[in-house]
Amino acid sequence: MTQTASTESDRGKNKASNKSFEAMRKFAETYAKRTGTYFCSDPKITNAVIEGLAKHKDDLGAPLCPCRYYEDKQAEVENTYWNCPCVPMRERKECHCLLFLTEDNPFVGTKQDLEIVEVDYDDE
Amino acid sequence: MASAVAVTDASFETDVLQSEVPVLVDFWAPWCGPCRMVAPVVDEIAEQYAGKLKVVKLNTDDNPNVASQFGIRSIPTLMIFKGGNKVDVVVGAVPKATLANTIEKYL
Repeated sequence: MTQTASTESDRGKNKASNKSFEAMRKFAETYAKRTGTYFCSDPKITNAVIEGLAKHKDDLGAPLCPCRYYEDKQAEVENTYWNCPCVPMRERKECHCLLFLTEDNPFVGTKQDLEIVEVDYDDE
Repeated sequence: MASAVAVTDASFETDVLQSEVPVLVDFWAPWCGPCRMVAPVVDEIAEQYAGKLKVVKLNTDDNPNVASQFGIRSIPTLMIFKGGNKVDVVVGAVPKATLANTIEKYL
């Protein structure tokens, strides 16, 4: 069973801990600058993905990509392929999660620092 | 306004596989950024094809049986079912026109 339980952290319902969110925010900003990639033009997308990475870091110990379905999340963490930055990103700058975008991507924005926007993770 | 209705592991057989009309299923997860981008497109599709196409969404975290059964990997994955069979798949956040063109083939 890979179900992620509905939880309440110090930051709100279904959100990651402040510590993990800040760690993933800093990672994402540094990695974007290092690879010459940019965040999505819609900051809600970036906030949601960083939240998902941080949530996986809290729940599984590693920032597993939140834009994939896994039959066994713990096994995938150990496999490391989809731990952020994933192999396709490191090898070819491919991020289907739209976190790190190259300048030719239709969804690319201009920022490499996160603009915090409120996103609701309550189901539905 | 018509919008995608949530289906589950328990209701998938009745709501999707036994549907009289073709069904578009949006496989999504809460912390998936591009899922949030495609959701309004899916709702627009539901509006545009009301009566001819059923449009539903399935949370893969909460419904692992159906997600596993249909081999979901990258999300969002949009799958079209007709007569109880999977007939087409679109992976990732796509423009509305791309999705509409794929759907038109099955109406």
